[in-house]
This record gives sequence, structure tokens and C-alpha cells, in this order.
Amino acid sequence: MDDNTRRTLLKILTTLPIIGASLLAVHALLRYFRPTLAGGVKALMAPPDEVPSSPQIAATLGDLTKPWDFKEFIYVRTSVEYSALKTQGAKIPGFVVRLPDAVPGVDPKDPKTWFVVVQRICPHLGCTFNFIPNREELFGGYNFAAPNPFHPYFACPCHLSVYDPTRSSKISGTVKGVAFDELPGKVVSGPAPRPPRTMSFDIVDSKILITDTEGGGIG
Amino acid sequence: MLEKFITFLLSRPAWLRSLIPQKGVVGHLWHGYWNAGPNFLNWLQDRWKKMDLFDESFTEEAKTNPWYALGGMWYWVWILVLVSGFLLMIYYIPVTDQAFQSIERIQYNWKWGSIPIGAILRGIHKYGADSFIILATMRVYRIWFTGSYKQGHELTFIVALLILIVGMYSGLTGYLLIWNQRALWATKVMATFPLYLDQNPTWIPGGAFINATNQGKTTAQILLGGTSIGPATVTRFYSFHFMLSFLLMIFFELRVYNRSLKRMNISHWTKFIIFSIILLVTIFIPAAFGSPANPEVTPNPILSDWYFLAMYHMLKLQEPYLATVLTVGIPFLVVGALFLDRRPEKAWGQRLIFNWIGIGGFIYWIVFSFLIINSIADLHRDAPLWYYSMGLFLLIGYFLDWKYVMKRDNVRWYQTFHIFFVGFILIAMSANTLFHYFGNIREWNILAKPMMLDMLAQNPALTQDQAYDILETTKPTLNLWKTPATAVLDGKPLGMEFWKIHVIGWLAIIVLGTVIGLHRWAKKRDLAAEAALAKSKPKTAGA
Repeated sequence: MDDNTRRTLLKILTTLPIIGASLLAVHALLRYFRPTLAGGVKALMAPPDEVPSSPQIAATLGDLTKPWDFKEFIYVRTSVEYSALKTQGAKIPGFVVRLPDAVPGVDPKDPKTWFVVVQRICPHLGCTFNFIPNREELFGGYNFAAPNPFHPYFACPCHLSVYDPTRSSKISGTVKGVAFDELPGKVVSGPAPRPPRTMSFDIVDSKILITDTEGGGIG
Repeated sequence: MLEKFITFLLSRPAWLRSLIPQKGVVGHLWHGYWNAGPNFLNWLQDRWKKMDLFDESFTEEAKTNPWYALGGMWYWVWILVLVSGFLLMIYYIPVTDQAFQSIERIQYNWKWGSIPIGAILRGIHKYGADSFIILATMRVYRIWFTGSYKQGHELTFIVALLILIVGMYSGLTGYLLIWNQRALWATKVMATFPLYLDQNPTWIPGGAFINATNQGKTTAQILLGGTSIGPATVTRFYSFHFMLSFLLMIFFELRVYNRSLKRMNISHWTKFIIFSIILLVTIFIPAAFGSPANPEVTPNPILSDWYFLAMYHMLKLQEPYLATVLTVGIPFLVVGALFLDRRPEKAWGQRLIFNWIGIGGFIYWIVFSFLIINSIADLHRDAPLWYYSMGLFLLIGYFLDWKYVMKRDNVRWYQTFHIFFVGFILIAMSANTLFHYFGNIREWNILAKPMMLDMLAQNPALTQDQAYDILETTKPTLNLWKTPATAVLDGKPLGMEFWKIHVIGWLAIIVLGTVIGLHRWAKKRDLAAEAALAKSKPKTAGA
């Protein structure tokens, strides 16, 4: 075969552009299938483009006066997606829970420390979890025997992950460009790998205003 | 063309190939590597020729043995599902806020006199799809238990398994179209799944690189058409649902046409009976709706369609990354097991370890489905039992197989005993016990709670949270393996010695087993080569 070097060269010269062209075609096809891409080869491996969403009211302070008062809300996060509008709002359900003053970290003078705000999307496999203020329900429905003294927990019906809103665990990430190193909602039972995804919030005119959400989950 | 190119690439460095003579472990591996391309192509061509898609090569057997008619039966059911699907497409609306109502209208509006045509079509589509999956599963099991993947029919089994997987995916994409609660949450679980493939441990070679490519996120977004389940998902699933079934059918039909095969190895009466069964089920148990999808409420309990139930239960019992890798890996494990079955024997009693793998798989499927339907799960107790029983299944299969081999070859027990295999499983079972019963599983329910209460009784100033934190750092037995960095007593976690012994055992078995196995393999090949050489040499007269 060594005497056919010219043919070899020609073969290689014709094959390389074919391979290149097919790679480009595959890339175009992938972009067709992945509608969240803004563009470019680099974007193929990048996380989706997040369009900034507007601040939305979750609750007023008057709703949450007693310890363990909670409120469900929906935060609409817009993202680049296939639709006639080119963006689409994903509903992110959330919980805001008023903690008792006895929980460490709660400062009676600083209203921002009174609340735990989480996305209700279970970080395990994406189900919407519940707020369970009842020991029997937690034991019977979610396979978790809560220790004494009892307080409510977040619990997910799909694979029985249970989160403790009063305890936090170490995890690093960013929300609204601000880095955090721990989040409330330590996993106390079940397969979840991390505490629920967080939301950044401000308290303006005694209203709890959600400003942004931690990305990553499926809405 | 491609074949020529690969052969050309591989045959280039001929001098490199001859650097090492074809002898011993290294020599055989070296030459095996250089011959891999053409060998694989030959292998594939041969298998492609012998591939049996719907039992078309068992026409005679099918007349007397219904197990060989399974292929024909599922092909018939597939046609029924396709045709009823085409008719349903006329009225179905793939938009989130109209999908559920459009199906309600199909179910109730279109009647012929008192006969609900719409409901019957929908029932045939739904129950037909269910029977498709039942028949495809039974066919996979038939091929497995009769060992008919041997002697060059590996591709038949792999394609049968692929058909089952594609059928299940078709089912998943299909029942989202109803846009009810069950579908929404099953889709969510399915789409969140790939995200864990971006969380590979960095100690795996290339793990950090794979994570950086975001391929899990890309997969999820390709599946969903965005970062959430919405209108884009429905149209996409509609397309996939139709495309998968229809394109595969075209491919199958082309093969039938090219080779002039008999399409279904069943009689018209059988076809009629199958159709009647599906029709009767449709009439007596109208296909269900569930309630419209609501992303804000997850019902408790929430179940997927019946064929995913067992896997759904499995997800509860383990760490999500491991669960994802296992779920994705099950088909690969099955195909891997197939290639481990190298012996030519096909009879039931002569390949018991592989039968036991099949039986075990079936038992887990049934039991897990039963457990999740009745919502029986104790996450803090169950997992180790399941791991343990898997080891037991393998051991039972192995020992029965060993008994057969001893009898077949008429040899003493130590001549056929696979000490490395048995040792590996025993060490794994022992490690599993250690991990779960002294490790994190018992932390909250059994050991930690009374200790924490004791601490609170002794020191009322402590909060519960502080008590747990103190326990976690001072009693490493509570959380032995999860946080070895913080759970330290006298500078090291308690019980770490036991764990290290297991790791050493595993490594020793893997290394020793591989080295000894390779040596025996190379020796066998050397002997075969020598025998061939001796045979080809002309005999010299009088020598």
C-alpha cells in the first residue's frame, strides 16, 4: 500500500472536508433541537441564556405574622425558548415561611432573617414539594419520623425527600450574581442531593419582593 | 467506502504491528487491537445478516409454540397502534390549554349511534401500546431464557431490547400528550434525570470535562424544548411520539420487502383474537384520563405508567447520581451480561447463572411495582436488603451453574470454582452491610434521635440543631461515610479500618482476577496457534 501515497493524500484531502461539513451539519441540527441557544459553537456547551425577570411580590408581612406561617406563590421566570414570542415564562412555585425567633440566625430586628424563601421544585427530580405542619402526615406519607420538639418540614411526595427549614447545609452557588455558601433546608431524609434551590428577595414597603431565582431546575 | 477507509487507516502502520510477536498476553492484546476494526466490521455484518426482527425466522416453531409467535403478535399490535394513532391525530390538539379537553371530546363526542367510536379508538391506541410493551418484554425474556442470542444472534437480542426501550419512550411521550397530572410529573422526573449526568465525580477520569460540557442540561433541553415543561414540550413530544414509531416501521417494512420475508408469523385468526381482546378491554375498561396537569400541585402518592413503576421505586432508595447512572446503565449491563455468556449451551439447566439474572430482574420488577403501588417504602431500612438480595441471586445462579459444570466436565470442585467472582460478590455484600448498618442509613431514625434527646435533657440550653451538630462531629458512627472529613474521633473516622479492608479486597480481586484471567486467555490462544501450526506442517517420512 506504500506505493499509493498520491491516492492516499487525495483520499485524506477529500475526506477531511466531508467530516468537517458533517460536523457543522450536526451542530446546526443540535441547535435546531435545542431552542434555548443564543448562538455560536461556544453556546452549545454553555448553560441556557437567562433573561432577567422582573421582581414579583410573593407575600406581604401581614400574611406572615406568627411563627410557621407560610405562603405559596408563583414566580414567573422568563427564558429563551421556542415560542412565537421567542421567550417563555416558566412558572416557578415557591414557599415563603416565617421562622420562629428561637431558630439560630433569626434576628428579631432584621425582617430579612425571619423568612425562608425556597423554590418548591425538588432538587432531586423536579416534583413540587409540600409544606407539612403535621407529624402524622410526615410519618405516614413521607416516611420520616420527626424528632422532638416537632416543627414543620418541607417534604416531596415523589421520592420522599424531607427538608428541614431550620437547618442549613453548605453549598455554593450564585443567585442574582451574588454568591452564597449555605442554604436553608438541609436534607434530613430521602434521596435529594442538596437543599431546595433558593430565591433572592428584598423587603420593600412590608412586601416580600422576589428579585431572582437560582437557575438549574426544570420549571 | 467507510469500511475501506477504516481498513486503510488501520492497515497503515504494518511495521508497528509486527514490532511485537503474536504471543503471550501483550502480543495477543496488541494484535487484537490492530485487528479490531476489520474484526468488528465482520462481526457486525454477520450479525446484521442473522438479525431477526420479529421472529420471522421462526415461522415453523410459531405454529406450535406461542412463545415464538410473540414477534408476529407485537408487529400486529404495532400496526393497530399506528392506525388508531393516525385516526386520533385528526382531533387531537397539541396545545397545553386544549390538549386535555380535546381528548375528552374524542372520548365522548364521536359516536356511531350508541357506539362511542372515539373512545374505542383511544382505547385501542392505549391498550394496544400497553400490549406492545408487554409483548416486547416477553420477547426479550424469551430470547434471554432460551439463549437464542447465541451463535451469532446477539444483534437480535440487542434490537429486541432497543425496541422495548423505544416503546417505553414512545409511551412516555404519548401520555404527556393527554396533559394530565401523572404525565406532567413523570415527564418532569424524566427530564430532570439527565441533569445528574453533569454531576460526575471529578475523580472519574474526564469527569470534570464532561461536567463542563453541560451535556446533561443540553439533553434535558432537547427533550423539553426549553427549561420548563410547556407548549414547546407538547409539540416536541407529539413529533417524537409519531416519528419514532413511524420511522421504525418504515425501516422494518424495507427489510421485509428487501428480503421477501413473511411479515407476521401468525394466522389471521390469531390477529382477530388479539384485536378482539384489545377491543373487549377497551369496552369494559375505558381508557382513563386522570386530572388535568397542574404544575403547582404534586399529588401524593404520584405514580408513573405501570412499566416505569419499578424504576420509580428504585429512585427512592439511592443517591440520585448513582440512581441515574444505574437507570441509564441497566440496558448496557444487560447487553454486557449477554457477552459474558460465552458457552454454546442453550438448555435451561446448562446456563443457570444467566437464567437467575433474568429471574432476579423479573422479581425486582414485580416486587418494586407492588411496593410503590401500595406505597410501602422505608427508605432507612430497605436499600441494603435489596442490594443484599441481588448478591444472593447472583450467588445462587453461580453455585447452580458450578454444579452443572463440575458434572459436565467430570472434574473436582477446585478445578472449576471461580474464586474471584464469588469473592467479589461476597466482599460487595459485606461492604454493603457495613455501609448501611453502621453508616448513614440509621443516623436519623435509630441512633441519633435518642442521643439528641439525651443531650437536650442534660443541657437544656442547647437547641436541637446544636445538639445534632455536636453529635455529628463527636459520634462519627452516626454519619460514618458521608462526611469523613468532619466526622472524626482521634483524628480518623471509626470503622474506617473495616472499610479499607474491603477496598483492598476489591482492588486485589480485580487486579489478580484480571492478570490471571488474561494469562489463561493468552495461553489458550498460544496453544491453539501451536496446534494449528503442527497440523499444517507436512509430516516427514520416517521421522
